[in-house]
Amino acid sequence: MNGELLKISDLKMYFRVRDVSSWLGAHRSLKAVDGVSFGIGRGRTFGLVGESGCGKTTVGRTALRLYRPTDGSIIFDGADIAGLSDKEFFPYRRKMQMIFQDPFTSLDPRQTVGDIIGTPLTVHHLVSNRSERAERVKELINMVGLRSDHIGRYPHEFSGGQRQRIGIARALATMPEFIVCDEPVSALDVSIQAQIINLLEEFQEKFGITYLFISHDLSVVRHISHRVGVMYLGRLVEAGEVNELYENMLHPYTKSLMSAVPAADPEAAKTRRRIILEGDVPSPLDPPSGCPFRTRCREASAVCAEQTPPLVDVRSGHMAACHKLSIKG
Amino acid sequence: MSGDALLHIKNLRTSFLMSDGVVQAVRGVDLSVKRGEFLGIVGESGCGKSVTMLSVMGLLPDNAAIKADTLTFDGKDLLSASPREMRSIHGDEIGMIFQDPMTSLDPLFTIGNQLMEPLRIHRKMSASEAERRAAETLEMVGISSPAQRLKQYPHEFSGGMRQRVMIAIAMSCSPKLLIADEPTTALDVTIQAQILELMKDMKEKSGTAVVLITHDLGVIASVCSRVVVMYGGLIMEEGECGDIFYDPLHPYTKGLLASVSGMGSGEKKKLVPIPGSPPDLMNPPDGCPFAARCAFAMKICAAATPKLTNRGGRLAACWMLRRKLTA
Repeated sequence: MNGELLKISDLKMYFRVRDVSSWLGAHRSLKAVDGVSFGIGRGRTFGLVGESGCGKTTVGRTALRLYRPTDGSIIFDGADIAGLSDKEFFPYRRKMQMIFQDPFTSLDPRQTVGDIIGTPLTVHHLVSNRSERAERVKELINMVGLRSDHIGRYPHEFSGGQRQRIGIARALATMPEFIVCDEPVSALDVSIQAQIINLLEEFQEKFGITYLFISHDLSVVRHISHRVGVMYLGRLVEAGEVNELYENMLHPYTKSLMSAVPAADPEAAKTRRRIILEGDVPSPLDPPSGCPFRTRCREASAVCAEQTPPLVDVRSGHMAACHKLSIKG
Repeated sequence: MSGDALLHIKNLRTSFLMSDGVVQAVRGVDLSVKRGEFLGIVGESGCGKSVTMLSVMGLLPDNAAIKADTLTFDGKDLLSASPREMRSIHGDEIGMIFQDPMTSLDPLFTIGNQLMEPLRIHRKMSASEAERRAAETLEMVGISSPAQRLKQYPHEFSGGMRQRVMIAIAMSCSPKLLIADEPTTALDVTIQAQILELMKDMKEKSGTAVVLITHDLGVIASVCSRVVVMYGGLIMEEGECGDIFYDPLHPYTKGLLASVSGMGSGEKKKLVPIPGSPPDLMNPPDGCPFAARCAFAMKICAAATPKLTNRGGRLAACWMLRRKLTA
């Protein structure tokens, strides 16, 4: 490991939304991401997990500057890209790419596969003429396990798994150093999921690509990640090296989240004690005071309503944000 | 066996007429659901698991053709049932829960209205009686202050809450069979755990037989007692939950289990994907539908479809098992 490629510090992303309950249509801010910090080592995978609406996708999109962050810094390869203008950011776009969740809507239905993969090559002046571009597209399409005769076809002619391969080829076209994978296998069948995961791992080994892997599927995240962060209501509540985190969970939310995952093992399902959370995730428009998880937490005490617990290093790199832990020591 | 079977399906074939051909979604399925059991049907998208149960319900669009040798529910023949007879079974003797709780409730009617409808129609209850019963069912599925909640509209409920309401509607007439088609797929894991727990609880209390359709092996393992594995419109394997997970007979079941990344193992194992993709059911292959992706495929696999074979009380459709039997 040679240093961090990406370092996000105290990232905040607020969206302005109209308050429908107000007569004058006043605006309120929806704190989708509220002070998230983490780093990703070069050539490593950081898995970001959480339930829908926890802000994990917003973190990924903001890291790629698809949104302009409200506050905080995003250090990529030594430079802060958080405040750059679109023009200043352009050279970084080549180095940072994204693979989307839905292989059905993330490919333009009116472009051929060759155009979809070739466009980034042209935009970033990575090829000097048509034949060079065609050659490179062919190379990319073979790399993701499709055939050269697929180049002239349109997205609707492919299955979900094949489309996700096209999306990966498009992301790889600019030879990026960093790829945000936003739920890349969630829309696929399990037998196809494994194909795509193996493909992503293969490219990491070959090209040393760094991934931010966003998913709600805890077993997939465990499989692919080196380090994992757990988000709840716009905040990182726990982060650590993958095995350390999965085996010694510290935060009550992480514990209940993990215990809710049904394992493909009927015997374990019978014996395992589940922590079943009550209620739903609170609205990010109106988050609870103090710790965001306190309304569903069994161990919540008075201090949890008053102060937001900071993310502290509990043991050598394993961090958690919970008052229980800081009281203990 | 068919004596205590609540639902008995023999050689079900369902096809859809499309503009460019006929899709043979279900190609000969034999299935029995026993009274009070929790049966899981697992398979990947397009394997025919939903269409099988929708055929039973008669809830398919006009371009569908349903054929079967036998299709009986609780002694009644569903093939010859008139739409009127089917309507008297729907929501009364067979309840159904769909995948998407966002679209399966009518946004223009209150929750109370939708909960009372089956009670008023099937049980001929008076309005006040139905309201009381509706409030009870709502409380049973874990929704607090039911009297007020009855007056609310679906958009005032979260996804998990809406799925609870769906379960309440399906269970309101105490059906003999509950069909749940991917009931937790659209929900987050913590909410999924709540709903699965609720379904298990309801099944135990009421003795209703449940058929749970899902692609998630984890969901099957946590609630089902018997499992049917489908692929390419056919049943590949059928058996007790433990047998299927710990000692799968069919190469497809084995492949499916190997491609799931386990939560428990700290050791990083390489995932073993099943190569290729599922067959095109507009032109289904002649032999075993899995032959093209199977590592053990033999000549016969591409030529003839193996039948479900009983092997020590367990059923699987694979030529390898038949060969061992005759040898």
